[in-house]
Amino acid sequence: MSFEPKIIGFLCNWCSYTGADLAGTARMKYPANLMSIRVMCSGRVDPGFVLDAFRRGADGVLVCGCHPGDCHYVDGNHKCMRRMPLTRRIMKGMGIDPARLRLEWVSASEGARFREIVSEFTEQLRRMGPLELKEIEFDPALEGAHHA
Amino acid sequence: MNATRLASPSALEDFRAQLIKHRQEEKTTITVCSGTGCLACGCEKVSAAMHEALVASHLDTVVELKRTGCHGFCERGPLVVIHPQGIFYQRVKPGDAKLIVDQTIKAGQTVHRLLYTDPQTKQTIMHEADIPFYKKQMRLIFGKNGHMDPTSINDYIALGGYAQVVKALAMKPEEIIQEIIDSGLRGRGGGGYPTGKKWATCRKAKGSPKYVICNADEGDPGAFMDRSLLEGNPHSVIEGMVIGAYAIGSNEGYVYVRNEYPLAVKNLLFAIEAAGELGLLGENILGSGFDFHLVVSRGGGAFVCGESTALMASLEGKTGEPRAKYIHTVESGLWEKPSNLNNVETWANVPVIIEMGAKAYADIGTTNSKGTKVFALTGKVNNTGLVEVPMGITLREILYDIGGGVKGNRNFKAVQTGGPSGGTLIVETSERKIHDSLVAHGDLREDEEALSLLDLPIDFDELTKAGSMMGSGGMIVMDEDSCMVDVAKYFLNFLQEESCGKCLPCREGIRKMLAILTRITDGQGQISDLEELENLSQVIIDTSLCQLGGSAPNPVLSTIRYFRQEYLAHILEKRCPAGLCKALVSHAITENCTGCHACLKSCPTGAIVGTPKQLYSIIQDKCIQCGACYQICQYDAIRRVKRGEGEAIQQRARDLWKPAAKPEPVAAK
Amino acid sequence: MAKVNIKIDGHPIEVEKGSFILEAAKALGISIPTLCYYPHMTPYAACRICAVEIRDGKGWSKIVTACNYPVWDGMEVLTTTPRVLNARRVNLEMLMSQCAPVPVLQELAREFGIDKPRWGTGEDTCILCGLCVRICDEVVGAHALAFSDRGIHRRVATPFDDTSSDCILCGACASVCPTGHITMEDIDQRTVIHRDLTLGPNAAISLPFRQAVPNVPRIDPQRCIHFTTGGCGICSQVCPKECIHYDDVDTFEEIEAGAVIVATGFDNFDPTPLKQYGYGRYANVITAEEFERMNNAAGPTGGHVVLENGQEPRSIAIIHCVGSRDENHHSYCSRVCCMYALKFAHLVKEKTNAEVYQLYIDLRSFGKGYEEFYQRILDEGVNVIRGRGAEVIPSGNRRKDEGPLLVQCEDTLIGRFREIPVDMVILCTALEARRDAKETGRKFNISVGADGWFIEAHPKLAPVSTSTDGIFLAGTCQGAKDIPDTVAQGGAAAAQAMKLLCLGEVLLDAAYAEIDETYCSGCRLCNDLCAYSALEFDEAKKVSRINPALCKACGTCVAACPAGAITGRHFTDDQIYAQIEGMLT
Repeated sequence: MSFEPKIIGFLCNWCSYTGADLAGTARMKYPANLMSIRVMCSGRVDPGFVLDAFRRGADGVLVCGCHPGDCHYVDGNHKCMRRMPLTRRIMKGMGIDPARLRLEWVSASEGARFREIVSEFTEQLRRMGPLELKEIEFDPALEGAHHA
Repeated sequence: MNATRLASPSALEDFRAQLIKHRQEEKTTITVCSGTGCLACGCEKVSAAMHEALVASHLDTVVELKRTGCHGFCERGPLVVIHPQGIFYQRVKPGDAKLIVDQTIKAGQTVHRLLYTDPQTKQTIMHEADIPFYKKQMRLIFGKNGHMDPTSINDYIALGGYAQVVKALAMKPEEIIQEIIDSGLRGRGGGGYPTGKKWATCRKAKGSPKYVICNADEGDPGAFMDRSLLEGNPHSVIEGMVIGAYAIGSNEGYVYVRNEYPLAVKNLLFAIEAAGELGLLGENILGSGFDFHLVVSRGGGAFVCGESTALMASLEGKTGEPRAKYIHTVESGLWEKPSNLNNVETWANVPVIIEMGAKAYADIGTTNSKGTKVFALTGKVNNTGLVEVPMGITLREILYDIGGGVKGNRNFKAVQTGGPSGGTLIVETSERKIHDSLVAHGDLREDEEALSLLDLPIDFDELTKAGSMMGSGGMIVMDEDSCMVDVAKYFLNFLQEESCGKCLPCREGIRKMLAILTRITDGQGQISDLEELENLSQVIIDTSLCQLGGSAPNPVLSTIRYFRQEYLAHILEKRCPAGLCKALVSHAITENCTGCHACLKSCPTGAIVGTPKQLYSIIQDKCIQCGACYQICQYDAIRRVKRGEGEAIQQRARDLWKPAAKPEPVAAK
Repeated sequence: MAKVNIKIDGHPIEVEKGSFILEAAKALGISIPTLCYYPHMTPYAACRICAVEIRDGKGWSKIVTACNYPVWDGMEVLTTTPRVLNARRVNLEMLMSQCAPVPVLQELAREFGIDKPRWGTGEDTCILCGLCVRICDEVVGAHALAFSDRGIHRRVATPFDDTSSDCILCGACASVCPTGHITMEDIDQRTVIHRDLTLGPNAAISLPFRQAVPNVPRIDPQRCIHFTTGGCGICSQVCPKECIHYDDVDTFEEIEAGAVIVATGFDNFDPTPLKQYGYGRYANVITAEEFERMNNAAGPTGGHVVLENGQEPRSIAIIHCVGSRDENHHSYCSRVCCMYALKFAHLVKEKTNAEVYQLYIDLRSFGKGYEEFYQRILDEGVNVIRGRGAEVIPSGNRRKDEGPLLVQCEDTLIGRFREIPVDMVILCTALEARRDAKETGRKFNISVGADGWFIEAHPKLAPVSTSTDGIFLAGTCQGAKDIPDTVAQGGAAAAQAMKLLCLGEVLLDAAYAEIDETYCSGCRLCNDLCAYSALEFDEAKKVSRINPALCKACGTCVAACPAGAITGRHFTDDQIYAQIEGMLT
């Protein structure tokens, strides 16, 4: 059996979650690899959530928001748009391929687009293989040495 | 010599004194007339040849060669006058230049061949003033033309030019206007409105700025006096306009001149520039504080633009169409400002009046028409050209004394004055048929004798009374070969093309009248046509917008008045008495034929057959009635007869014809 | 202004000095014929038909034109002297010799008792009155027309007889032309009758549409001459109440509202790109909307079903699904066409004897009573053909008794290709979202679907609500629907809005953000993030505060707070971490 990546999706309540809902009500099939978490706005997505997801074993994180200009909260998605690249830099520093974090815009009517994004992302993660994080023991002495 | 800007009247007088002093050296001067008539006769080549001859004789520094304006005697051009002797040579060819330089300039002898010969006395005349053509004339306006180079302001000043501006600027404007009113000057453009009255109204009119305009849109067929004046002496017009502008209170003037007069435009522009440089035009004229700017506007050559409102519309850059004159242009004219429009000749009269004084000027002429008038004498008269005569002169004097009588062995028939708007006047009223015509028209009782119009004193009112008008001064002489219906047709055809087409009666009415006349000359006329012509004429006169339409029926009405019989001949007998209307005429060769062969050569359709020294004849079917043979025949052998009667005449000629020994040619037609 | 006393035909009247005879005669009710006079232009006095005779009472008299002759004190005007009548008559006859067929001249000729104009009858239609030239010059100010040539060659022309670039296509010249010599040429080759069929105004000043509220005319600055050239202004001259204000500008009104119902409607699909149907090329191919307008008793044809040439059609084809159920345009069904097409057939049968052909893909008579209506239409003898209209081509006059248009289709029930000759073709065009739907959606913060329809909050549970509180949808802006559905949805939207208003207070979601002041360092990072200004800084305590009534609970500040002092209720960090944990273990 091939590798099945685990994907955590943060979907904004107004566009992407509704879009995903539409895909569902329209009986569109997309990989079950995605597990959605509803947030009110993509601006709510704390980089900590993303990193926590990777720490807990996610192979990819998908953040979806409204198209720029269409945000239910005026410009929440713009905030998200700035945070995610920073998050990718942190990920890189941690040895996580930044490609494992994806930010996409899905509107309420784009059920089909949502399906495509999920399928495509799943396929991509499948090719990349599982995320392997090394468990590093916290060594206060070493930490102290750094500071010294 | 050149002068800088003249800042005061005295500076002008000083400059003039210098000029005259400079000229009093009795320098021999050859003047070559460069007026339009002489230009057409080739005076440019004469002038060039004269220059060559002078250079060849090394006289070019001693003798002055001058090209002057029109002398008026266009029939005899090119004209050359040698000063100071005043020897007048006429019909000078370029080849004569050397002869003149050798004989007259060097040897002091006259060339008899080139002198004018009086046709009556057969004597040669040496001086211009002694020629009958000039004797009866009074050349107030045209006098300076022959003595000055139009492009030289110095010539004009030396002849006393711009002295009247000085005089006028010292007067009050009201005084000038009073002077013009007292002089009795009436507009020379045709209408004859009192000039002084016009100026006074314009001066009083509310509105600023005011404009003075010179109407140089001379469009009457055959008239060219305004042209000659602008070409020959533009300064006199400018001087008149400066005085007029000062009197009216205007600082801006326009000259509206036909672009078909390139020399007039050129000389005028040159004169304006020269006057401006001397401070005689522009800002602060002669230090008087009075400004006057003059602009030349060139017209596109529409006849109707001679009408005041159409002219102003054209000046404004709009289509040249008249508007109703219920509000006069002196109140609201160019750009709806008070505008005073006078024609070239009127303006040229102004300095003359100021110079002579109103009283002296008013002594010339008749009760209501003062001064002189320039006529363009053309047609079947011996001496064609521009003649300036005092008002009140009789037609007889103009036609016989000045004009030298009718051309060829023909009788006078009529004179047309006033151009397309004018009427035709008969000359000989003794003829029975004209008497009948006037009786039919209601002008005469059966037992009354018609006055000979030859003794009609020419002035504004008399001409109007006689059914014509002064117009701009065209005077066309017609002999018995002229068909009166054809003359009327010619003018209507001209007007049909030149009507602006704005108002219905002029546009359509002239077309309708022309159609009727064409019908008559084609032999399709009916007796009711005369009544219809008169009815149409009344409506056109009543309802036309401007005077172009208002006077358009004049040529028809006046010819019907005097020549009703001729119309009736066309209509009832299908005959053209003058033999001009092609549809009504046949040409035939009579027994007078000498077999000279000239007619056969002239015939464009090969309708004439015959062998030399034998009787010729015309094949009637081939003849197109062009009249070429009639014109060329020297033996009076070709007759114009009623349509269809040609062959009968020729048949009779065959019976009567005898070979002639050596017949004398009849004088040329 | 000074007054003067004049007499017209013996009737005394006092008029303003400087006014014209014609105006005074009008005031007295004396009629003077005119051809080139128009009240809003300078008198031109070209036709001379208004000739009258004036006298000063001392024996002097003159013929003048009434339209432009200024009155003076003591003037006597005579309008019916033999001289005047003869002048008018001769001028009229001369004009007729050029332009006899002109109706205004015919009418005048009848007045003058002219049976046969004496100089014959010409066929020209331009009487050279100059109204067109002057209106273009004086009123419109475009200066695109002028007289060309002179004398008998005079004619009205554009500069160099070329298409004038100065022409603003206002049509003033054509409208003022008394003879119909000037016509407007439709660049689209559409004939006039069908242009009139389009809904809405054709003139620059008109009511927006019938039964408009408020029912007052308005000026369309795109068409108004005054706004194009600065000229004209006739409407302001004629309005007795001085209601015309050219300097009025669009203003933005701010309305405070507790709820908004978006009911922006739909656009009609333009069938021009569907070349096969020949709309725009063949005059008798019209859209359903144009046919509907034709049926309007107050419309341009007075409710008659007519062809472009004014005749009654002998056969009509109605093509369904033009632009809808079409992969290339709109894949959805427009829902209303089947039934109105059946209604059209019924109307045609009622008003004319024409044969009707319905060309459908599927007949969707799904509503209450709809199927019964369908059966009735069948009983009326309407030809119902199952097959999409493939192409409309000219028949090339195969037979005189057949229509000039051939409708080609495949009749799928009999399995044959058919060509139906008809006189008229009606295209049932698709309903489509309004062009500016995206913009409107953005303005109200509501979602727009791929087809351009607005998206409701939930297709079943909240069909009139939107993702934005207090904004509701009604009618075809939400999707193609027929009138009963639209009315129902409108009622629902109104009820939803009323619910908000009646309550008098706004119920807030329990989800909002809170700040734990103990942890807040007063960095103010969050303050600028909030799009609703729900965050404010307490200067005294040096901490930020959240106003829960303003907070929309987006959570942006929660994610941003470096101290973790802000909590988003219902979406706390803990809750989300727990979700992540739950999902991944």
